[in-house]
Amino acid sequence: MAGKTTLTIGIEVNGEQVTHAVEPRTSLADFLRDTLGLTGTNLGCEHGVCGACTVEIDGAPARSCITLAVACDGASVRTTEGLADDPVAEELRAAFKAHHALQCGYCTSGMLVTARDIVMRLPEADEARVRVELAGNLCRCTGYMGVVNAIVAVLAARSPHPRQDP
Amino acid sequence: MTDVRPPAPRAGSRDVPGGRGVGARLPRKEDNRFLRGKGQYVANIRVPGMMEVAFVRSPVAHARVRGIVKPAGMEGRVFTMADLAGVRPIVSDSGLPGFRSSAQYPLARNKVRHVGEAVAMCVARTRAEAEDLAEQVELDLEPLPVVADMLQALEPGAARVHDHWDCNVFLDTLVDDDLAAVRANAVITVKRTLRTARQCMAPLEGRAVLACPDARLDQLTVYTASQLPHVIRTGLSECLGIDQGRLRVIAPDVGGGFGYKAILLPEELCVAWLAMRLDAPVRWIEDRFEHLSTNANCREHAYEITGYADAAGHLLAIDCDAVVDSGAYSMYPFTACLEAAQIGSILPGPYKMQRYRCHTRSAATNKSPIVPYRGVARPGVCLAIELVMDGIAREAGLEPHEVRLRKLVRPDEMPYVNITDKHFDSGDYPECLRRAVDALDIPKWRTRQAAGEPDGRRVGVGLAIYCEQAAHGTSVYAAWGIPMVPGHEQCLARFAPDGTLELRVGAHSHGQGLETTLAQVANEVLGIDPARVRVVLGDTAMTPYSTGTWGSRSMVMSGGAAASACEVIAGRVRAIASHLLEAAPADIELEDDVVRIVGTDREMPLAEIARVWYREPQRLPPDVDPAGLETTMGYKPAADTGTFSYACHACAVAVDTELGSVEILDYVVVEDGGTLVNPLIVDGQICGGAAQGIGTALYEEMPFSDEAQPLASTLADYSLPGATEIPAIRIAHMETPSPLSTFGQKGIGEGGAVAPPAAILNAVNDALAPLGALVAECPVTPDRVLDALRRAGESRA
Amino acid sequence: MKAPAFAYEKPDSLDAALRLLADAGEDAKPIAGGQSLGPLLNFRLTRPSLLVDVRGLVEMSAVGDSHDHLTLGAGTTHAAIEDGRVPDPANGMLRHVAHGIAYRAIRNRGTLGGSLAHADPAADWLSVMTVLDAEVLTATAAGPGVHAAAHFAQGPLATVLEPGELVVAIRIPKLSTRARWSYFKVNRKPGEFAHAIAAVVHDPERDVCRAVVGATGDAPYLIEDARPLLRGFDPRWAADHVSAAGLDAGSHAHRVHVAALRRAGAQIGGVQ
Ligand SMILES: Cc1cc2nc3c(=O)[nH]c(=O)nc-3n(C[C@H](O)[C@H](O)[C@H](O)COP(=O)(O)OP(=O)(O)OC[C@H]3O[C@@H](n4cnc5c(N)ncnc54)[C@H](O)[C@@H]3O)c2cc1C
Ligand code: FES
Ligand code: FES
Repeated sequence: MAGKTTLTIGIEVNGEQVTHAVEPRTSLADFLRDTLGLTGTNLGCEHGVCGACTVEIDGAPARSCITLAVACDGASVRTTEGLADDPVAEELRAAFKAHHALQCGYCTSGMLVTARDIVMRLPEADEARVRVELAGNLCRCTGYMGVVNAIVAVLAARSPHPRQDP
Repeated sequence: MTDVRPPAPRAGSRDVPGGRGVGARLPRKEDNRFLRGKGQYVANIRVPGMMEVAFVRSPVAHARVRGIVKPAGMEGRVFTMADLAGVRPIVSDSGLPGFRSSAQYPLARNKVRHVGEAVAMCVARTRAEAEDLAEQVELDLEPLPVVADMLQALEPGAARVHDHWDCNVFLDTLVDDDLAAVRANAVITVKRTLRTARQCMAPLEGRAVLACPDARLDQLTVYTASQLPHVIRTGLSECLGIDQGRLRVIAPDVGGGFGYKAILLPEELCVAWLAMRLDAPVRWIEDRFEHLSTNANCREHAYEITGYADAAGHLLAIDCDAVVDSGAYSMYPFTACLEAAQIGSILPGPYKMQRYRCHTRSAATNKSPIVPYRGVARPGVCLAIELVMDGIAREAGLEPHEVRLRKLVRPDEMPYVNITDKHFDSGDYPECLRRAVDALDIPKWRTRQAAGEPDGRRVGVGLAIYCEQAAHGTSVYAAWGIPMVPGHEQCLARFAPDGTLELRVGAHSHGQGLETTLAQVANEVLGIDPARVRVVLGDTAMTPYSTGTWGSRSMVMSGGAAASACEVIAGRVRAIASHLLEAAPADIELEDDVVRIVGTDREMPLAEIARVWYREPQRLPPDVDPAGLETTMGYKPAADTGTFSYACHACAVAVDTELGSVEILDYVVVEDGGTLVNPLIVDGQICGGAAQGIGTALYEEMPFSDEAQPLASTLADYSLPGATEIPAIRIAHMETPSPLSTFGQKGIGEGGAVAPPAAILNAVNDALAPLGALVAECPVTPDRVLDALRRAGESRA
Repeated sequence: MKAPAFAYEKPDSLDAALRLLADAGEDAKPIAGGQSLGPLLNFRLTRPSLLVDVRGLVEMSAVGDSHDHLTLGAGTTHAAIEDGRVPDPANGMLRHVAHGIAYRAIRNRGTLGGSLAHADPAADWLSVMTVLDAEVLTATAAGPGVHAAAHFAQGPLATVLEPGELVVAIRIPKLSTRARWSYFKVNRKPGEFAHAIAAVVHDPERDVCRAVVGATGDAPYLIEDARPLLRGFDPRWAADHVSAAGLDAGSHAHRVHVAALRRAGAQIGGVQ
């Protein structure tokens, strides 16, 4: 076979530089879970639809199930484990708990990564926009009520101009 | 051993500010680990030396297996049923007369009967390598005629799914009645032909099994994503032919169940067998492709239903013929006929009627075996009767709620025994309906309807009301004669020396929050801080036997068991406290982590009692109960006919008649789940259930080809509702305690999923009524709306 | 659902990428964002011997601005377009469309070039670039090439690209300030692939009024002269075009595409 069949890659994962040999076919998700033991990122579909596997690559949310680990050579990746001390994630975790935004918890890691992106990128988002932005994260348990309410609450708490109800 | 009777129903600490007992809106204890990525799902467990399995699955729906060729040199890593000699097939019979039995081999033997049936098992170091191996296995299959549709299955010349049967029917049931007089006198006759699509339950986590041999204990530990670990242990032991003591089944964190994980899997048998054979840990993790292509296994019903009413819209009788597509095998433990048998018994819903006839058939087809999904037959049944009720309203020229109010069981009639001998325990069904009608504001929508929408869409409103038997027990299941009959539910409660409490129950939680709600029960009885209560679930070695979590039973059954066990412990705590505080046991109260002499400030920490029992026994009274601060108590409600929660769902939709699309404009749920142990969690269950019901109503469908090939192989084709498809559901509660359960609580886990198909189809049909169109199939896809409009156009032309 | 084995190379220049592809032959494939290829690999529906990673190649990230055209590198992500991190030559149309493609996590990696090369009939860019009269600039080991977007797709998942030919950039005519556009995507959920697409571009200054009927199951269908839409909606005219786009008259898909065309026409200010 032409080309390399194992590669050594260097990735920064949750702030630590790791170097590992991987098969090119290994997805970033499997690399994180199986090689690094970071099982906080769950797999729900392995084809990009459900959002359970969403992690940050170079600061932006991405699907770890359809991203090759080798394609992340030199990149910086952050998983739910890496959000442990992040203040925005901490606000979101508190709100998720208060608003009952999780039941089985399987979607939660991906939800938090997406929620954090919404809060940081779209500080003005209203409920309708939050729902659109959540469209790529499926939850089979909650009916999204708690998730939407939690994100809206965090947005409101961070807003310099609290929104007035019309 | 009933030294303490279960407490009488009580209101709980709902109104107590800062209350942490029954009724408190307590955030969940279990959230912390999930929010930090520490959920322990089966696929997250790492065992050194673990091997991975991929299955070779049948590409066709019906064929004779002529040969299976293992890749050369790989014979030791590929296994077929011939290798599993001695493993018994899964047989799950119903005791109902006339039931036809099926045998499901863990790996196909002689015949495959549905697409995706496992034929061979391949093991390798990684899943990718196991899949590489599976691709190289060659199957020699001789195609047989396929039974792709349940109605086709019933036709006289149909091919047979099981060669030794005389037809394709697992079970035929009939609730008979003489309807001649009603037919002759009814002024209004409404007939509907309905169908609901086959669905995938699609918990976000699929099934998963990891089996690890333990030489020291001579035991196989099977981790499995299951709702009923104890039942799985029994099933595994029977099929594998090994003692139950040599099996420990652990269901760790489970990523959603919904019924999908209330079944003994062929894959569980395979993986357990392989781990013993290889003497190494082995796992199989179901992927989404396997889920979609192999396990679309619920909800497929067909109804011919007729409702008879008088001129004033009083429902007189129902006559129904229902067929359930039960698939190829009878699954363990709920069997192939639970669903259809349930149709016969619950179709009348919350309504009174004079006459009732219902004929059901559980049809065998070349599809995966049907498994009861959240609400089991209820979403279909509710759809059937509620579409008929709307039809009657239209014929009688009445609002839909008016015809319903005439026939709903009234509160003054409670407890009520209905026409199929269901014992409704308590509630005010008419009030529930009225509140939903008010909350939706039907007159507002009628005005809007009359005015027309600026964008040309058509608006409609729809209602559905149901009642749901939950936590029903021994007598009900014994009558069905299925392999699993629930008895007393047990709880082990014990204090540790530091005064923390452990509760062990055999039911399981896959999102329902039992770790929190059972701790609230402990608080209610013992006054202990829920943070100091550990709830242990899902492990056959750690918990008392239980049939598991299904049928909306856990809060009633495990909650009742936990209360009973805590009451026993409370009695023993009082006895010790009375000695230490020098007061009569009856004068001791347990509250806020202290034991106190009522009406005084003489108290000591609750934890002190535990400390004395374990570490300063010299201070105990001489007649102390030697059983100590540990007990296992069983619980069964006074009557095992079940609690009946109920709800009315009301919604408004807009239908785009050009595109066939449907938008939900407003959605209201008024529900009565009896005493709510934790309203935060209850709302989550209702909303999550309703979201699944909306999926059933509008989005989710596994289409099959004429050859019974499942056609939606990705989540882009099998459409699960997302945050934009589920509206902000407005929920209101009524709280009529059940006279049967410990705190008056009723089962509420499934209800949310029951009514949305009926409410939404009624709303769509309300919108389309002026055009003469009627949609009678779920899900209401754009194509189905456009079909209905076309039919209406043709019938007018 | 694990990908079959393949080899992988990440060249550091376009030339190196082209050489690798040329040498490896037909079983080699480029990979950009992997957002279409990733799922196909996991389902084992494609079995490349070698993947040549073109993500991040400088030659594919360039933005070129001329008087009447804007050139976007093939590696431009949907998210970069959505955010306005690259100029929008179509008065906001590209940003609008980008926002409706898949989900943010996918838009952060999926690329314009990858989307066009994949040629899913239901994908957005193919229809948009067709109605905008854009050109696909390509390269092979033998040299550069140009294809009109309208003729780029040849059917479902089929393009004019030769093995070893890479999309390098997209050259898009700039709309004048008075130009108007509309884009009507029929889907049931945001981020889904379209069930029907209709788009109209009306640029009086450049004397352009074009429409496209997309997501037909085949390559997008271009209506070069869509002026009739401005004069009022003629259902016959629309139905004939939708039939010519390959949909059976009388089918629901036909009806929905006609409706999409009507609405796209209405959005652009056509008389109804
Ligand atoms: C859940 C989901 C939803 C989606 N929804 C939509 C949607 O609504 N609308 C939509 O338009 N798209 C949608 N997509 C597809 C998405 O837009 C992809 O990003 C895009 O189609 C492919 O871009 P890519 O860069 O990821 O290409 P890749 O996946 O890397 O490659 C795709 C194909 O193009 C080839 N290729 C890549 N780059 C080049 C190049 N420079 N030259 C030649 N060939 C090349 C590859 O060999 C491969 O065959 C969706 C995808 C997913 C997973
Ligand atoms: S697992 Fe990656 S999107 Fe579903
Ligand atoms: S909490 Fe179970 S999938 Fe979201």
